[in-house]
Order: sequence, then C-alpha cells, then structure tokens
Amino acid sequence: MGNIFPRWTNLLAVKIFLCLGALGTCVIAVAWYSWTPKYTRVGYMPQQPIPFDHSLHAGQLGMDCRYCHSFVENSAHSNIPTAQVCWNCHGPGKVKSDSPKLEPLRVAMDENYEGYTGEPIRWVQLHKTPDYAYFDHSVHVNRGVSCVKCHGKVNEMPVVFHHEPLSMSWCLDCHRNPEKALRPVDEVTNLDWEPTDLDPDSFYEYLAGKTDKTAEELKEADQGKEWDQELIGAHLQQAWNVNPPQDCAACHR
Amino acid sequence: MRWFFLILAIAVVATAVALGPRGEKFSDPPFELFNDMDRQYKQRPQKSSNIFDDGKGARKPVAGTVPIGFKFPHAGNEKDLASDLDFSAGDDFYNTGLFGDFYGKGYPKNLTIDEEFLARGKERYQITCTPCHGESGNGQGVVSKYWAIPPSANLIDPRVKAMPEGQLYWTITHGKGLMGPYNGVVSVRDRWAIVAYVRALQAAAE
Repeated sequence: MGNIFPRWTNLLAVKIFLCLGALGTCVIAVAWYSWTPKYTRVGYMPQQPIPFDHSLHAGQLGMDCRYCHSFVENSAHSNIPTAQVCWNCHGPGKVKSDSPKLEPLRVAMDENYEGYTGEPIRWVQLHKTPDYAYFDHSVHVNRGVSCVKCHGKVNEMPVVFHHEPLSMSWCLDCHRNPEKALRPVDEVTNLDWEPTDLDPDSFYEYLAGKTDKTAEELKEADQGKEWDQELIGAHLQQAWNVNPPQDCAACHR
Repeated sequence: MRWFFLILAIAVVATAVALGPRGEKFSDPPFELFNDMDRQYKQRPQKSSNIFDDGKGARKPVAGTVPIGFKFPHAGNEKDLASDLDFSAGDDFYNTGLFGDFYGKGYPKNLTIDEEFLARGKERYQITCTPCHGESGNGQGVVSKYWAIPPSANLIDPRVKAMPEGQLYWTITHGKGLMGPYNGVVSVRDRWAIVAYVRALQAAAE
C-alpha cells in the first residue's frame, strides 16, 4: 500500500502554523497600535459652527480660560459659554460684529437679525468621558491641576483638537504620581507656566506656613535637588494632603 | 507560502498607510468599536434632550421654585463662597444694588470687606473685566489695542469714583451702553467683591 498523503503535505501543518502565526501577529500589532484612544481620539479636531480661535482669544489677547468657562471651579462640568457671553464682546457695534463667521451667534442672539430663532449654538463636544465615568473639573482645578495637563496648550491652537488620550490608564498615571501635575492654584489657567517661573523663596515661605518646619529648614532639605515639576509637585502634594483615589468608586459609581 | 507572505506584507503596508500614525488630525467623530454605555439615556450638562419640544436639555426652573443644590438667598448662607452659587434674584440691596428706585451707597451688611474678599475681587476682576477695562482699570484693555470700538469706561475716573457702590454693582449685573450683563457669569457675592476691588484700584490710582 502506497502513501495516502503525497510528500509535499509533510510540511503543510508547519506552513499553515507559520502563516496563521504571522497573520495573527500582524492583526494584533495593528490593533495594539490603533485600537486605543491614543489613536482613535488624539487628534480629533471637529469643525465647530463658529470657527472660534482659542489661540487668538486665550493666546494673543491673553483672556483667562474662566472668562468663558466660568464655572469650571464650581462644577463637575466645565461649561461651554452661553451665547450671551460671546455677545458681550461680539454684539452690535462691538468687536467684529458683522463677521460672517458669527452667523450662528446672530441667529441665537440678535433679535433684529432676519434669521433670528433664539436657537442655541450647537458646539461640537470634543473631550468626552464615557457616561459611566464621573470626572469632576472643580476638584482638579482647585487642587492645582492645570487645564494644560488634560487639554494641551489650547492657547496655541487655532482649532482645538484632542490632545491627550483621556483613557483610564492615562487618568491613573496621574493619580498614582500626582506630583507630576500639581502646581500653585493661581497658575492653573496659565498654560505657559514653567516650574522655573516659581520663586523658590516665596514658595518655601508658603510651605513653611503649612508645616511645622521653617522655610530655611525646608530649603536645606532640598539642597542639591533639581528645581523641577516633581519637586514642586511633591511639596504641594504634602502641603495640601493630596491623595488621589485609585479605587473604582472614585470615578465609577 | 511565498505568495502568502508577499500578500501579507502588502496588506500590512496598505493598512499602515490607510490608518496613519497616532495623533493625526481628523474631523469625523472618533471611531468606536464597542460604545456600550458610553452614551447613556440620561441628561448630561449642556446636552440636548428629545423629551422636550424645544430640544433643550437645560430647563428654566418652574416659577417659585429653587433648583436642587441651590439655596434661597438670606437663609444664613450669605457667607458661602463659590460652591454655593447664588444667582437667584432677591429684591433687596444685596441682590440688586438698589434701595427702592435708588442706587445704594456702601456694601450690604452681610459682607465683610477684608483682605480675602479683596483678593477674590482681584481674581474675578482680572478674569472678567481686564479684557476691556484693563488691569489697572484705566479703560485701556487689550480690546482697545486691536479694535476701534468705542472706548470702555475708565474705572479710575472721578466720574466712576463718584458713583455709589450700588450703581457699580448694578452695572456689572445689567451692563451699560456697549457692556453686556454679567449676571449669568459672575455670582452675586463675586460682583460685590469686584466692586470692592474697583474701589481699591481707584484708591491706588491717587
């Protein structure tokens, strides 16, 4: 009796295994790279009904974030300004009030405008935490986590885009090492702030008021350490007793 | 097998080119493979609603009621800061800046004008008022540098200095001339803090 299977089938199983292995590796590699908020969300730059330019308002004009996002310190939700807030500067006879770009604003606000309906401007939401995650803006900005940490340098963006992945592991990175994010509370909306902008003497003076050590002692203990974000953040974390929760119920109810 | 790897290589390159690197700008809504419960049937802040005819999720309170989380003014909560925003309008001096039909002079009795209060006023002034009135209150804010619109009021001018506190409060609340109302953005207590800070600017200018 001759061979049932011809000779070339000897290696068939190995070849199939190799091919499937290679295919599987490629599929996993592609999914690894692109099936993550780092790929799917970072860079999301939707077109808004009014091409509002943050680099002009917050950058060139130096307006504070809280002029428009007025309740970020009080509320879990950082509010999009009402049309009334835009209207305060762009109403009739004021800045660029006849610009065609502001048409949706006139539709919402200008009762003498032919297309007036009073309909609110439908801004497109860019940063979205899932509905089962309860992020609170106020608790972060009131404890020295800057806007720039999650939103990037919005004051340099003509069109705002999604800058950070805002994934759960990304949140936890910061909750595990809060010293990488903390800064003095009055610099939270200063997106260009650098640790070197902080005057060490007044900073140690401030810390001394929060502990039982004197400013000189604190300074002494930091001799030789680099004056950077981690050092400032670690001090502030201790002074404010910042303990970012890492349990599920911190963000999920 | 050779063919398989050739095709696989082409497919990988094609996919990589089609997907592009991380962080590329795009304007379509982000891709979601499983969006379970990301968008739930509940009302989120500033979102539309299909329950109401006008499609607005944010509702005005029913007349005569106070929303949950808000407090009636004058229930012993006059000292509360930020977290208890009081936008509800009473008809007394604290809420209107008026006594009857006249602007009131001085500050409401429930406010203590101290360093902390002035610091709050300074912060709020620099957020809300500086774009037009300028850091020092001279009316030369950044807006006047770029656009030829009628000038903003010079707050350290004797004319404004002569105004009673109630009138300054009233102006922040309702606007005046080209200035819009700020009653929806700045809480009642913060408006008084700004008034106090403007007084401090006027004193500093002398």
